Amino acid sequence: MSSHSQVNAIQVLGLTKQVSTFEGNLTILSDINFSVKSGDSIAIVGASGSGKSTLLSLLAGLDVASEGDVVLDGQSLNSLDEEARAKVRADKIGFVFQSFMLVQSLTALENVMLPAELAGDKNAREQAITLLDKVGLSHRLVHYPSQLSGGEQQRVAIARAFIGSPKILFADEPSANLDTQNGHLIETLLFDLNQQNGTTLVLVTHDEQLAKQCHRIIHIEGGQLEKISEGVAENVG
Amino acid sequence: MWGKLAFRLFLREFKRGELTIIFAAIVLAVLTIFSLSSITERISLNIEQKSSDFIASDRRLSSNHAFDQSLLEKATSFGLQTAKMLYFDSMIFANDELVLSSVKATTAAYPLRGKLTIKNSLTSQAYDVNSGPKLGNIWLSEGLFYSLNVNVGDNIELGAGNFIISKVLVKEPDAPFFSLSGNKRVLLSYQDITKTQAVQPGSRVFHRLLFSGNNQQLTDYYQWLKPLLKSNQTWQGIKDRQSPLGNNLNRAERFLLLAGLFGIMLAAVAMAVSAKRYCERQYDPVAMMKTLGGSRQTIRNIYLLHLSLVTTFSILVGLGIGYILQSIGANYLANFMGTVLPEAGVRPWFLSIFIGVICAMMFSLKPLLDLFDIPPLRVLRRNLGDRLVISRLHVGISFLTIFVLMWIFSGEIIITLILFASTIVVISILFTLSRLLFSAGRKLGLSPGSSWSLAIATLQKRANANAIQLVSFALAIKLMLFLLVLKNDIISDWQMQVPAGAPNMFILNISEREVSAIKQFFSDRNINHEAFYPVFTGRVDAINGEAFARRVSKQEGEEQEEGAREGVNREPNLTWLSNLPEGNEITEGQWFSDSDDIEVSVFEGWQRVLDLELGDTITLLINEQPIDAKVSSFRKVDWGSLKPNFVMILSPNMAGRVPVTYFSAAELLETHTKDISQLLKRYPTISMIDIKIQIEQAQSIIAQVSVAIGFVLIIVLISGSLVLISQVQASLAERMQEVVILRTLGAKGRLIKLATLYEFMLLGAIAGAVAAIVSDIALLVIQQQFFDVEGRMHPYIWILGPVSGSIFVSAIGYFMVANTMKKNTHNLLRALG
Repeated sequence: MSSHSQVNAIQVLGLTKQVSTFEGNLTILSDINFSVKSGDSIAIVGASGSGKSTLLSLLAGLDVASEGDVVLDGQSLNSLDEEARAKVRADKIGFVFQSFMLVQSLTALENVMLPAELAGDKNAREQAITLLDKVGLSHRLVHYPSQLSGGEQQRVAIARAFIGSPKILFADEPSANLDTQNGHLIETLLFDLNQQNGTTLVLVTHDEQLAKQCHRIIHIEGGQLEKISEGVAENVG
Repeated sequence: MWGKLAFRLFLREFKRGELTIIFAAIVLAVLTIFSLSSITERISLNIEQKSSDFIASDRRLSSNHAFDQSLLEKATSFGLQTAKMLYFDSMIFANDELVLSSVKATTAAYPLRGKLTIKNSLTSQAYDVNSGPKLGNIWLSEGLFYSLNVNVGDNIELGAGNFIISKVLVKEPDAPFFSLSGNKRVLLSYQDITKTQAVQPGSRVFHRLLFSGNNQQLTDYYQWLKPLLKSNQTWQGIKDRQSPLGNNLNRAERFLLLAGLFGIMLAAVAMAVSAKRYCERQYDPVAMMKTLGGSRQTIRNIYLLHLSLVTTFSILVGLGIGYILQSIGANYLANFMGTVLPEAGVRPWFLSIFIGVICAMMFSLKPLLDLFDIPPLRVLRRNLGDRLVISRLHVGISFLTIFVLMWIFSGEIIITLILFASTIVVISILFTLSRLLFSAGRKLGLSPGSSWSLAIATLQKRANANAIQLVSFALAIKLMLFLLVLKNDIISDWQMQVPAGAPNMFILNISEREVSAIKQFFSDRNINHEAFYPVFTGRVDAINGEAFARRVSKQEGEEQEEGAREGVNREPNLTWLSNLPEGNEITEGQWFSDSDDIEVSVFEGWQRVLDLELGDTITLLINEQPIDAKVSSFRKVDWGSLKPNFVMILSPNMAGRVPVTYFSAAELLETHTKDISQLLKRYPTISMIDIKIQIEQAQSIIAQVSVAIGFVLIIVLISGSLVLISQVQASLAERMQEVVILRTLGAKGRLIKLATLYEFMLLGAIAGAVAAIVSDIALLVIQQQFFDVEGRMHPYIWILGPVSGSIFVSAIGYFMVANTMKKNTHNLLRALG
């Protein structure tokens, strides 16, 4: 079990997202407020089109809010430009995506090294080998994504997410593209590594059972925060 | 750190084939430009060298007045080689025989280009020499030996001078194609002119200064000379000369230039398509790198390094392949002609590298800017950043770049504008047509599940992509058809100028009483001959009673008028005829009426120079006798033909008013050698001009240029094929996805294969049809405007276009996707990533 502190890893303050359409402005998210303690895991759940992926993109600094702010590890995102947000992502955030998002022309090892290399880390290779070993792919280092199964590709993506020891990990439907067995394997791996590294986990999922493994569950409905429920993981109080 | 990552990504992308298309496009551009410009330059240099032989120099200065010695001295100071020449008609005397002959006196350096061919006796073998007769010696052409009944070693009198006949003059490099001065030619040393006392003040003599050197020296000298040129002095190069050769050279150069432009256009299309496609394929990796914290600067550095590496590598490969290609082509041509082609200079190297770099930069610019702008959010919203519509800026930059490249390469704004504008028209028509066709296809009502309905459905689904493909296919087919037809037309036009069985000997100075006897002579020996034209000389003295002020132009680049203006100051050869001669065309007015007045048909070039109008009265001074003739028509004359042409043809009612000699032409074969000698002995006053050598030389150059054009056509064909391949490759991923979906839905392999085949057949047929129509229209303009070839429609390409387009596109397209269709669904899914 990770050690939990009282510091907020994520603070969401009146977050609103609107987009322009032919019929006028469309509100996708409206006045969302919550916070996540460092080392906690939260699941964002909701029906398709409820706005959960938009929320994830705003939390990770991939998009900018129309109103409100996101504070990541004490750093307000709203005041930052794209380059500064990229720096925040490089320093503090790891990602796991539903569609793996591996660079097809790089091997498993090189995909894992990628974030560290972009950050100028000279020990990228050693770190990547260690992480691939942790996800059970030490025998697949020089294989390209097209030579790996879906489960293996997602394990490479998880190893990549943990390189550089991010403080926060965002996972968008990490097991949705996998069969049940591989899905469970990936989920277990994700939670285990999260606990080992003391990372704050933000998980977007449809899967109620998976969501319940987190400390808290954020329910989004029609772009609004419907409720926050407790998961089965130990609460930080 | 980013450098290592960038280099690794580059190698991997290259290995995976992601950069193959862009690499191939730059290689294609560079090798096309390099091989075309090298070959054209080498051929051009060779033709120029050979052509220089025809004027025995690189440039010449002509006048009917003596030149100031300072012109030669200055030329020497510019590093040029020089020679002096003087020619005039004079009587020569031997064995109590007196014959009018054309005398040419030259300094020792003559000929500066080409060779003189001589024989030691009438029966010995001919051989080449680099210089004319020594002091006191004289060389005579064969005809004079018969007319004067002399042999080598005999003495001969020319004016006040006495000379020893030392050689038989067989050939001079600068002998005229057609001249009524006859074949009684005499060559002697320039220093012996004084001895003859034949040149006196007021004598009708022609002076020439010959120059040879490199282009820079010639240009520098001309720049110095230009302001000093007098109105009676004319500066000439081979291209200024109105001869079949000069005209054909200009056409060949224009054709090769045009082919080069097409090569650039095709390469540019391939480059624009491949650059856009490559950048689109990089959207996901870039979005991912940005998500993982990669800065915009890092990403910019990575992809600019990719562009630099692929550009450098492909330029090197393009130059390598281009060099090999042009070497093979040049060797083939050299063997074909039995000569060695001179090496090209540095221009092809610089030009191809420059064009390669410009292509890479300009066609990648907008796609790269789009790539740098890809938002990281694309990792969640998968379509974000996809350009559903074609970027106007990309299209604008691409078109501007193509235009500038064509302009740089051709150096001719008008031809560039015409080609460019016609291409824009093709593209506009095709876009409109393709959208109409693809939407109309919905109403065809084909049975669901058939290969045809699947093919049409696929075409409709990718209407935008197909419109672009269609434009590329049509452009490639259009350019290929265009060149093919032009090549055939130009070559057949050339061949018409020197057809097999054409007369190769001109017979002049035939008196009226000899005409029937010579006709009989030919008839007895089965010698083909042309009509006997009455010939006389006359000077234009006045127009509508107003004395004509003579003037001579000295400008360059006014080829058609140049000859005409010169002609105004000379006494042109005139004739009378009942019918319009072959190869002439009335441009204004009517051929002769039944009027009792004498009428004249005038060459249209003289119409402009003399400012003539129909109905004007020209006063001709013939044998000092003024004859008034009313202008009844103006004619276009094909000066390129090896047939006698006349600037003025008078109506048949001139017969009997002036003394004339007759002129004819005959086809004399090797077997007629003895007959020629017999004819000359029997009628010593006639002159014969052997144009066999000129015809052979012209045919050899035509053959050489024809092979070169064929070679260029192959290069353009390969370029066109690569454009098609790059287009099909660009759509391969999408096709793989479709195959997966169709297979998953249970479609049989045969259905998918046939649908793919039909889709390409339809695309090819539509592209080919439009290409054929537009090519034919554009050909009409280009042929008339730039090749001086009669414009005509070519119905066969209206069938050839769609059929060849259909076969060509379906063969390449099917071959490209066949491999994809062999893969099973699982492997396809894996390959799609």
